[in-house]
Amino acid sequence: MLLQYLSLMRQEVSLIFIAVLVLICELTVNQRYKKVVIPITLVLFGVHTILGFVPFDGGKLFGGMFATSHAQALMKSVLNVGVFIILLQSVAWLKKEVNFQKSNEFLILLFSTLTGMYFMISSGDFLMFYIGLEIASIPMAMLAAFDTFRSKSSEAGIKFLLNSALSSGILLFGISLFYAISGTIYFDDLPLYFSPVSPLFALGFIFFISGLAFKMSLVPFHLWTADVYEGSPTIVTSYFSVISKGAAAFITSILLFKVFFNQLYLWKDIIYLLSVLTMTVGNLFALRQTNIKRFLAFSSISQAGFILLGLVNVDSLGVTAIIYFILIYILSNLSAFGVVMAIANVTGKEEIKDYNGLYKTNPLLSLTMMLAMFSLAGIPPTAGFFSKFFLFTDAAKGGYYWLVFIAVLNTIISLYYYLLVVKAMFISPNEQPIERFRSDIYTRTALLITVVGIFAVGIYSPIFEYIRNIIDKF
Amino acid sequence: MEIAASKVIFYIIAAAILFFALLSVTSKRILRAATYLFIVLISTAALYFLLNYQFLGAVQIALYAGGIVVMIIFSILLTSHAGQKFEPVSRLKFFASLLAVLVGWALSLWVILSHPFVASSKEAVEVNMDSIGKALLSYDRNGYVLVFEVISILLLAAMIGAIVISKKQPGDGETNPDNSKTSK
Amino acid sequence: MSTQILIPFFITAVFLVAAGITLAYMLSPKSFNLQKQEPYECGIPTVGVTWLQFNVGYYTFALLFLIFDVETVFLFPWAVVMKQIGLVGLVEILIFFFILVLGLAYAWKKHALVWQ
Repeated sequence: MLLQYLSLMRQEVSLIFIAVLVLICELTVNQRYKKVVIPITLVLFGVHTILGFVPFDGGKLFGGMFATSHAQALMKSVLNVGVFIILLQSVAWLKKEVNFQKSNEFLILLFSTLTGMYFMISSGDFLMFYIGLEIASIPMAMLAAFDTFRSKSSEAGIKFLLNSALSSGILLFGISLFYAISGTIYFDDLPLYFSPVSPLFALGFIFFISGLAFKMSLVPFHLWTADVYEGSPTIVTSYFSVISKGAAAFITSILLFKVFFNQLYLWKDIIYLLSVLTMTVGNLFALRQTNIKRFLAFSSISQAGFILLGLVNVDSLGVTAIIYFILIYILSNLSAFGVVMAIANVTGKEEIKDYNGLYKTNPLLSLTMMLAMFSLAGIPPTAGFFSKFFLFTDAAKGGYYWLVFIAVLNTIISLYYYLLVVKAMFISPNEQPIERFRSDIYTRTALLITVVGIFAVGIYSPIFEYIRNIIDKF
Repeated sequence: MEIAASKVIFYIIAAAILFFALLSVTSKRILRAATYLFIVLISTAALYFLLNYQFLGAVQIALYAGGIVVMIIFSILLTSHAGQKFEPVSRLKFFASLLAVLVGWALSLWVILSHPFVASSKEAVEVNMDSIGKALLSYDRNGYVLVFEVISILLLAAMIGAIVISKKQPGDGETNPDNSKTSK
Repeated sequence: MSTQILIPFFITAVFLVAAGITLAYMLSPKSFNLQKQEPYECGIPTVGVTWLQFNVGYYTFALLFLIFDVETVFLFPWAVVMKQIGLVGLVEILIFFFILVLGLAYAWKKHALVWQ
């Protein structure tokens, strides 16, 4: 019996094991050997990521409280890939004098949030879901406030904490209304009680989806995003915009398809509206940003709007397209953040105009950034094109032509501002461009992975087929 | 008679919760707001006792009234402006939020009141420590051992994070350390 | 437990408190004096803000206390059924304990338990 539990929960168990190991290292290892902890963690997490792809049967544990399947394992693996790249990118930052003291804590907190997301994705009832959500968000606030010497970082932590507390409250109120209707919190029991839709269900659903929208920073619940993204350390910002958003999108799609499947006619309009608002408003704000972190924050808001396209039409292609989109979004956004971080680590510069003439001094970094921007915008040879293409196809298949039309318009707008960054790097003249520098091996590896990924995931079609096969069996 | 009596007590407690909650959010001084919050939490515990949830009531008093309010007061006193009065809210904001609250409240109330709640067919069971303990450690349906274990990770992360953030580090409090602290 | 018994107690409690306050208000002699408004009737009036900023140590301690308070809440139901559940329960609680003790050890190592 123990073996069955271990095999079904292996991703969770091994992640917790790594986190505990880091903590034990922090407690026992001498300061002199502290440098070794980071590479060891990297290796362990890499093994963990690769093992996550090994197929195994799904199942339910703890009376249905914990449910896992091939599809859910895949979602976790996609997050793993992102976290692995982030870990690679964080090494240079962690080795700085200010952060080195608490480098292990950073890793522990990062792994805790990831554990929360795992449990959220694998939850079989609302209690587990909620606890997972809290584990994912409370350490995140601490990560946002990690730069204790910067008041902006503390501000980001507090803003995130208050917002996540508020959204948790709203979400819990929605859950309590579901419980009032059904008397159960298990996902597999709930649909039985929802079938003739009552106004109370609609009210609960609106509260519930608003709470989730806060976490995903969908418009009109996005106002915290820019400040938190700007104030947090850049590595945490990339974690926020990629991993946290991806996990929230995964859990939303799971819940909508598992629990609220029969109420499709009720929620598809909500998702439609949220999608249009998020894409458009996110884009309009991104146009006006001058700070590259804020710029990426707003562009990631509008990307979340695209994710919702996959939800309006309930079928396996939609979920496949979402997972595929998030995988590519992780690669492209982390590529962009990787460049921003490499530059900020060396020079501390974060404004878009600082990037003027970057190509002259740092051609490789500029090319990477350009690829990331192309992929985020969705220009054909990069993977970003294919991911958006599948999402649009899915929405069009459901007959949402207007939605697709708006999405295409938004893609064109986004193309404009993504190209602004490219223009700054390649065309705009600058008397004093950022000097030539060489990043450390970890950053370069991370950027290499993302660049290869941006090409390979798009062109190598078996990856899409692989995801598709898994989802079809879900 | 018995139902009527518990109803009367319920309404008195509920009125106290509402009243002090309102005072807590409208109070101009933050320490007073914390005190009102304390009364709200205690009244909530009273509500639990009324429902015969002794354990939950005890937890509410021990954790919320005993722990969290103390934390809140400490963190208020940590700031240098604990005695400061809040700025009055602008009239527009006041009326806008009042409108939002009233509409939301009325809508929720209307929906909840008009819902035909079906009385549960299950028999009411006495919730004693025995059943709580067994449910907490049970692997089966309606058992919570997974949540129980997972919460330890939440507590651990909260503890580590709080220590990391609150611990003084060399160089904290400098005005612009971003430039001076990089080792490169 | 029948709530009916509570009614007289409740009414008596409310009555006693209300009666005490009202009686004291009605019976007590009233005299107004400006000095009574001061926080202390003797000594020098304070200068500036009398609020005192606490040390951050209080906060850390309160937080650690709170976390172990939560832990106690979980230990209590386990302790009640410990004998009935037996070994499985012990293993479960040991895992829970182990993770939290790591946290305590961390706090210890980082001198969070030392008053600074």
